[in-house]
Amino acid sequence: MRIPRTLIVGGLVVGAICLLAAIGPWIVPFEPDAFSVRERLLPPSAEHWFGTDEFGRDVFSRVLAGAHHSLLMGFGATALSLAIGVPLGMIAAFRRGWTEEVIMRGVDLMISIPPVLLGLLILAVTDPGLMKTMIAVGLVYVPIMTRVSRAVALGLLAEDFVEAARARGEGAFHILAREILPNAWPPLIVETALRITFAILLGSALSFLGLGPQPPDSEWGLMIAESRPFISEAPWIGLAPGLCLCLLLISVNIVGEGLRDLLDPRLRGRGHG
Amino acid sequence: MVDPMADAPLLDIKRMSLTYATQRGPVHALQDVSLAIPRGGAMGLVGESGSGKSSVVLAMLGLLGQGAETVCDSALFDGLDLRAAAETLRGRRIGVVFQDPAAALNPALTIGFQVAEPLVQHRGLSREAAFARAVELLGEMGIARAAQVARAYPHQLSGGMKQRAVIATALACEPELLLLDEPTTALDVTVEAQILDLLEELRRERGVSMLLVSHNLGIVDRLCDELTVLYAGRVVEQGACTELLGDPRHPYTRGLLAALPRVDRGKMGRLAPIPGGLPDLTRPIEGCNFEPRCAFAVAACALPQALRAADGRAVRCHRAEEIAGQPWPIPEAAADAVRPEKPLTLLRAEGLTRSFGHSSLLSRLSLKGLKPATDFKAVDGVSLTIGRGEVLGLVGESGCGKSTLGRLVLRLLRADSGTLHFEGKEIADEPPTAYRRRAQIVFQNPDSSLNPRQTVDEALRRPLIRFGLASGAEATKEVERLLDLVRLPPSYRQRYPHQMSGGEKQRIGIARALASRPDFLVCDEAVSALDVSVQAAVLNLLTDLRDELDVAYLFISHDIGVVAHIADRIAVMYRGAIVEEGPAREMLMPPYHPYTEALLSAVPVVGAHGRAASRIRLTGDVSSAPGTIGCRFAHRCPRHLGATCDTVEPPVRKFGEGHRIACHLTPDELKAMPPALAAE
Repeated sequence: MRIPRTLIVGGLVVGAICLLAAIGPWIVPFEPDAFSVRERLLPPSAEHWFGTDEFGRDVFSRVLAGAHHSLLMGFGATALSLAIGVPLGMIAAFRRGWTEEVIMRGVDLMISIPPVLLGLLILAVTDPGLMKTMIAVGLVYVPIMTRVSRAVALGLLAEDFVEAARARGEGAFHILAREILPNAWPPLIVETALRITFAILLGSALSFLGLGPQPPDSEWGLMIAESRPFISEAPWIGLAPGLCLCLLLISVNIVGEGLRDLLDPRLRGRGHG
Repeated sequence: MVDPMADAPLLDIKRMSLTYATQRGPVHALQDVSLAIPRGGAMGLVGESGSGKSSVVLAMLGLLGQGAETVCDSALFDGLDLRAAAETLRGRRIGVVFQDPAAALNPALTIGFQVAEPLVQHRGLSREAAFARAVELLGEMGIARAAQVARAYPHQLSGGMKQRAVIATALACEPELLLLDEPTTALDVTVEAQILDLLEELRRERGVSMLLVSHNLGIVDRLCDELTVLYAGRVVEQGACTELLGDPRHPYTRGLLAALPRVDRGKMGRLAPIPGGLPDLTRPIEGCNFEPRCAFAVAACALPQALRAADGRAVRCHRAEEIAGQPWPIPEAAADAVRPEKPLTLLRAEGLTRSFGHSSLLSRLSLKGLKPATDFKAVDGVSLTIGRGEVLGLVGESGCGKSTLGRLVLRLLRADSGTLHFEGKEIADEPPTAYRRRAQIVFQNPDSSLNPRQTVDEALRRPLIRFGLASGAEATKEVERLLDLVRLPPSYRQRYPHQMSGGEKQRIGIARALASRPDFLVCDEAVSALDVSVQAAVLNLLTDLRDELDVAYLFISHDIGVVAHIADRIAVMYRGAIVEEGPAREMLMPPYHPYTEALLSAVPVVGAHGRAASRIRLTGDVSSAPGTIGCRFAHRCPRHLGATCDTVEPPVRKFGEGHRIACHLTPDELKAMPPALAAE
């Protein structure tokens, strides 16, 4: 199998960002929340690469220290939606009838609420914080994962090897875990990779609205929100985390598309009959 | 004035070669293929899948995709160079009919629009005039109420009607040549017979020339005067159809005929499979490319073989004369079992019924003005018995409920009513594990029957573990025994499905079903997806396994030839009920149920030209059915008696040993039927 070039490039960028996020707090040139009244709103320079904010804090250090929040939000929330959505979708496809109706109508209900609103709703009843934002974002994307995995499982359940398993009297768990899941993961992985982007974006949006990590913690969405009053005076405060967010989103997206090219058999070369 | 072109063939292709560029290197799909079709002539093109039949059609139409490269000495259509003119000829002077009518028609456009389209495009007719002509064309294709059909969408028509519409489209611009690529393969045998009649009539009355691509020798024999046999991109034999099939000279043609189960011969012991598969077309072969599979191969076969022509026949084999008297070798039976005349009853089903409705809650709602969708009875009160080690063949057209019945007796589908006994014990809706172990299933499609992410070892080991038959090293030995049983080497344990051929996958499917040492197998179209040479090997295997292991089969198939070959008893199913049942030998001779008679006379048989006159033809198809009272076959029955048939459930007439026919005709009338298989 030939690995698409987009996948390699995207994977390298995502890997680099993950590495920086992991070691960020230890390699920061300045303490991320150290105030310095004399160095307020300095433009980018050799010393302060991304400049300083209204409290004289080093923006580069804050971007580095906050990276893991965005990544956790994206990956953690998606993992959560996968963990809940895939079993739900598989059960709906396998059981059909009432079980399916209940699960799928519930999912339809959740899909009909705009994601940001749903996230707000979930966070409104709890105190804000990184973990909670992550859970909220994860729950928002459960319906989509349920739908995708149900569709994939429905297709596979019609295959004869599933009928053969039924003819052996295999139970639901064996059929779903051993016959269906190994064949379902390629489309699911692709969907997951693309979904991470949305999760990161939604997490940042919720942080921007003040429902994510709280100050003085740094988080990219929160940093953009805090930079708003200084947008004309010191655009770098918002621009730096914004551009980092862009880079992360684009590279994750490229990885997702690369995976789709790699795993979708329709895009693979076929011979003639 | 005498046309100087009159004697020249309409289509004349000389030494056409075709290569496809692939990642593994160039594939030599066609090598020096020459064929000529005279005006009004019909040429058949036969060969197994992958032999390049469809490539010939696509190459002629100039419809090959990128990466395909054709070289030929000349390709003339009525004196025009096809290579340059293909684009202007296709649709105008060359019509095409592809295999699947459902895929050939656009589901979003009406039939009339699609038939009229070529007239608007190529003839410049106005929409209205073209539509009027389309209605006429549909009528000429034997479609009743053509004006109504022209306004219908493809999904509203049956398969046979769709294919008639496709043929009407191909004929819209009155082409001189019709290319038919497996035109009846997707259709039921009675509908196929209707389409073949139509094509025959078109040839006779309009003088349309035809190139018929098919894997079915019987069809080709009915329709064509000349025949080209293609093997792995090379023409191996060419000549007049009747002579070629009556006296095949190339070992491949002879092998194909020897591998064919023939309904007109009934049960005939073993078939002669052709071992192996197609050669790798990326590697050019200098000598005979059939040599590795040939029973008559000698050292000199490695030399290049020329297509030698003599008295109107051409054969690409240097030993053709030498081996003329030798039959294609038939492998020895593994065991010569003596079957008891009356086997003990193994499985008895009584009154099995199953209907399908709409599972979604929304479609069950009864709204004002909207009736809830009615249920459809797929299997309606079917009773059958199968003895130990007995093969019961179940024949019927698509949608008759035969697959549903197979799943009902395995309790894979819940029956609405009816009972099932296995060895005298009643089997409940949720059968015990012991029943699951003893009753297994083999599927039609080898690609779908194996999990693509499991190796052969995993697939065969699972039933052993599931039923607690073996584990660890013992299971490994058992897996190897199973592979040996289906004649595959132990090295296949590590293979994934995509690393095997269709026939090999089907063997693994059989091995998996046999892993639990069952007493009863449902073979649901188990050989239908295979090429005839492979099908013969799998049929032999199934026969041997039955003799070795005393397994009983419910052998479901639409192909009455295959069933006649393997079955001890045959049951014929129509719209959810068994209309006739009896010993295989008696089923092929009168008395028949009128439906059996029609089925048998619809089967295209090689070397049975004279049969055409006495043929019984059914009109319509299964879907053109009215209500459910009376005889289910009444709406299509050529021996329809009148109102009785439509309103009264037919009585069951008994003949001889277990031969039952459900029909209103009197026993004497049934007995007086002419034999459907005899040639005149």
